[in-house]
Amino acid sequence: MKISDLFVGVKEISVTGPKIIHQFKFCGITINFTETIVIGWIIIAALAIFLKFLTHNMQKVPTKRRQIIAEWIVKTVNDLVEDTMGSKFKYFAPYISTIFAFSIFGSLISMLGLRPMTGDYNVTLTWALMTFILIQGTKIKTNGIGGYFKSFLDPFFVMLPMNVVSEVSTPVSMSFRHFGNIAGGMIISSLLYFALTGVSTAIGLSFPVFAIGIPAALSAYFDLFSGFMQAFIFIMLTMIYISTAADTD
Amino acid sequence: MNLDFLSIDPGSIIFTLINTLILFLVIKHFLFNPVNKMLEERKDDIADTYNKADIALEKAKEAEAHYNELISGARDESAQIIKNASQKAQQRSEEIINSAKADAAQIRVKAEADIQREKQEAKKEIRSEISEIAVMVASKLVDKEINESDHRRFIDEFIENVGDES
Repeated sequence: MKISDLFVGVKEISVTGPKIIHQFKFCGITINFTETIVIGWIIIAALAIFLKFLTHNMQKVPTKRRQIIAEWIVKTVNDLVEDTMGSKFKYFAPYISTIFAFSIFGSLISMLGLRPMTGDYNVTLTWALMTFILIQGTKIKTNGIGGYFKSFLDPFFVMLPMNVVSEVSTPVSMSFRHFGNIAGGMIISSLLYFALTGVSTAIGLSFPVFAIGIPAALSAYFDLFSGFMQAFIFIMLTMIYISTAADTD
Repeated sequence: MNLDFLSIDPGSIIFTLINTLILFLVIKHFLFNPVNKMLEERKDDIADTYNKADIALEKAKEAEAHYNELISGARDESAQIIKNASQKAQQRSEEIINSAKADAAQIRVKAEADIQREKQEAKKEIRSEISEIAVMVASKLVDKEINESDHRRFIDEFIENVGDES
């Protein structure tokens, strides 16, 4: 969905990935620089400016509302991480809030007419892989290298493939869940625009009148609710998996 | 040119990873570090204030105990002082009475001695007057020149004897 679609309507549906802005070869591998990355930069820059605004010139006795908002955000994330993972994992709070902020703003940016970041499978896959590495790292830290490899033979040798699949399925399911929800919403939105444009054209209007207002209700679910839900589910799963990995049995 | 709708692209993964790390640093540096530091400082401040209040309360209690002790000490001391003073006064008054009694006794003894002496002197005077009168009467009666000194001796002897007998 492009901004121009708002004026001429969606005449055809093409389900594609993000636009490639620049392409170059590095060590024989084709590196694609896509619009997802640029959107990521926009989010980072906006968040950096917003957070700098919130936390500059803080006082011990808060007098400004922005400081109270900043403290509320930090306290909420700290409490959530502490409640879910236990106080020994409190240092995960910045990481968790990074994933949450990136995920939610990456989904919500579709409301500005940009392609949602999380509608690119590479993004959710990257985050799921980071979580995967953290899970494996925590397991190794908890059980030691030997205990870590032995846990794959648990309860007996034949279970090895099962255990490997169960480990690998974690990032796959996490990344596909997030990607699928946002990308699905994106496709349904463009299908709806396509249908509404079709209706407008059928009664002889060049401007897609029906595309005004009606998609907003759907957008409230697919962009706002789904974007928030998926971000929340993603961080909750990350926290639960990591803290479960730290359990010694 | 677009990527496929569902594709795994190493470049995108690497750039996303870098983006995520940058956002992590941004959030840590601009949000968590300053706010956590502030919360920590505030916590320390509150703990410090409570500590100070506790110390002040303890000090106040100590001071109260100290002053109570002082007050009770002062009460004892004043009672002691009053007791001492009354004792001393009693002693002093007894002393004064005793010395007055002693003085009175002395004065009485002296007065008695004076009276005794006066009495003696009076006796002596009376005696000499009597002897003079006797000599005068005798010279008138006898009208004769007698040795006055012999006479006086006689009379004196006489009176002495009379006095002894009486």
